Amino acid sequence: MEKLTNALAARFASPTRSTRLTVVLGRWLGLSFTICFLTGLFSHGLQEPPSWMFFPTTPVWIYQLTQGIHVTTGIAAIPLLLAKLWSVYPELLKWPPVKSAAHALERASIALFIASSLLQLTTGLINTYKWYPWPFPFRQTHFWLAWVIWGSLLLHIAVKLPLIMQHWRSRPSVRPQVAAGADSPAPLIDDGGAPPMPGGWSRRAFLAAVGVTTGAVVLTTAGQSFSWLDPLNLFAPRKMGTGPQAVPVNRTAADAKVADLALAEDWTLTVSHQDTRRILTLAELQALPQHEHELPIACVEGWSQTATWRGVRIRDLVAAVGAPPSSSLRVTSLEPEGVYRTMDMPAGYAQDERTLVALELNGQTLDLDHGYPARIIAPGRPGVLQTKWLHTVEVR
Amino acid sequence: MKPVMPAGAGKPAGAGKAASIWRIVLGTAGVALLGYGLLGLPTQLGPPQLLGLLVWMAVAVLLHDGVIVPVSTLAGGGLTRLGSGLRPASGAVLRGGLMTGAVVTVIAGILLKAQSVARNTSALEGDYATNLLWFWAVLAAVVAVLVYGIERTGMRPGESRQKTRP
Repeated sequence: MEKLTNALAARFASPTRSTRLTVVLGRWLGLSFTICFLTGLFSHGLQEPPSWMFFPTTPVWIYQLTQGIHVTTGIAAIPLLLAKLWSVYPELLKWPPVKSAAHALERASIALFIASSLLQLTTGLINTYKWYPWPFPFRQTHFWLAWVIWGSLLLHIAVKLPLIMQHWRSRPSVRPQVAAGADSPAPLIDDGGAPPMPGGWSRRAFLAAVGVTTGAVVLTTAGQSFSWLDPLNLFAPRKMGTGPQAVPVNRTAADAKVADLALAEDWTLTVSHQDTRRILTLAELQALPQHEHELPIACVEGWSQTATWRGVRIRDLVAAVGAPPSSSLRVTSLEPEGVYRTMDMPAGYAQDERTLVALELNGQTLDLDHGYPARIIAPGRPGVLQTKWLHTVEVR
Repeated sequence: MKPVMPAGAGKPAGAGKAASIWRIVLGTAGVALLGYGLLGLPTQLGPPQLLGLLVWMAVAVLLHDGVIVPVSTLAGGGLTRLGSGLRPASGAVLRGGLMTGAVVTVIAGILLKAQSVARNTSALEGDYATNLLWFWAVLAAVVAVLVYGIERTGMRPGESRQKTRP
């Protein structure tokens, strides 16, 4: 068996691989995983807030930025992960596979790290396509796996810290004078500047190629999140400026089975606080003071679009039913079912003067797919919480 | 013959102690977060979903270790032979171009598959196949220009223009 694994290792051997290469790739990957983890936690906290959660409404593009970075960094991590795993592939073929209990634990933790990372990035990407071919819930799995991955990352750094410190900086070429055996650490070679073998490539050329590849996947997808990259948006599932009223739609009225209710002539919005209740027709809402703001709508899947929204300030409606300004809200949609049929709005958003019951988008009456006759738009909130096709607002 | 230096050799004792403390802190925090994630999964996923997750994780590793790396190694071997007549810098550009094209194609391929099965008509509205063709056309042109330039100027990696002058 050892002969077989040695033969396989020889077949997969490459002079480009070195511990220094792995350390450099590990730094890039560790940074991208950390950014994904922190921005993901922020997004999760906004959607399922713990008691200590903060809700920034300024700048209004805060969630557009953090979630755009989350998705873009996740995509960037795909070539980085592939390159990192390639750099350590011969480790897989080492024999014996387990040398001690501690070694078994280390290999098991790495196997879990690799498997969960591959799955997390793949399913994360496919989730942005709104395609769910797997037999487990995406959001919950993505959340818990994020902890597994980041914990595994810290553990991996702890285990490899001596090697990481040793190869953190590039050093002049030092040829090993004793051949490294199967049990030895990688040889102390830094041949990044040395001419590669004919037809091969140096470490620096490999790293440059990984950088270019990462740049390519970022530049051709990040236009869904960042308008200045929109002209290069070739492979993102969303494109800015598309959809009704030049704003993309995540859930159409047909998907939500809401068209008949939303288009009904007797539609009203009910705003209530304890025993006080105001029932407003569309004409009555239109007769209230109207306010206009430029606000982005930013989806958890990474796409975003800034637009001009016009409507009634939600805090004016809160005042209209005699509730204190520090009230939080429970907003219900006309949607007959769905996870986001009801939405809780913390007081921070309800108090903000830019949070609207929007009746118009980009100078026109709201399109049915954008939430006609009335929808919520608040600064700095995930798109799934910008409830469409409003039915009731309960002030709490 | 000098042996390979062990990790941390030649460092002051204080640095070694600091590294040990960092290893303990990072390792403990890592195990705690890892455990939190692993214990959290079954609180929201039922046994069939957990089994499905394990199967998908195993398939992801098998696909990577059994298909992606062997195929890319074969491709690399082919490029080594193909690029043996070229200057090393040209070979590197060729390999880099293929790496970029391959990764972008995999991502675009998944996108095209999603487009073919998607039920939501408000996303995935681009002509991604045409975009991919354009991408490969531009990539091939850039690689061709770079290789041509390198072969014409005779620049080798690690050699600056000054060094090549007499």
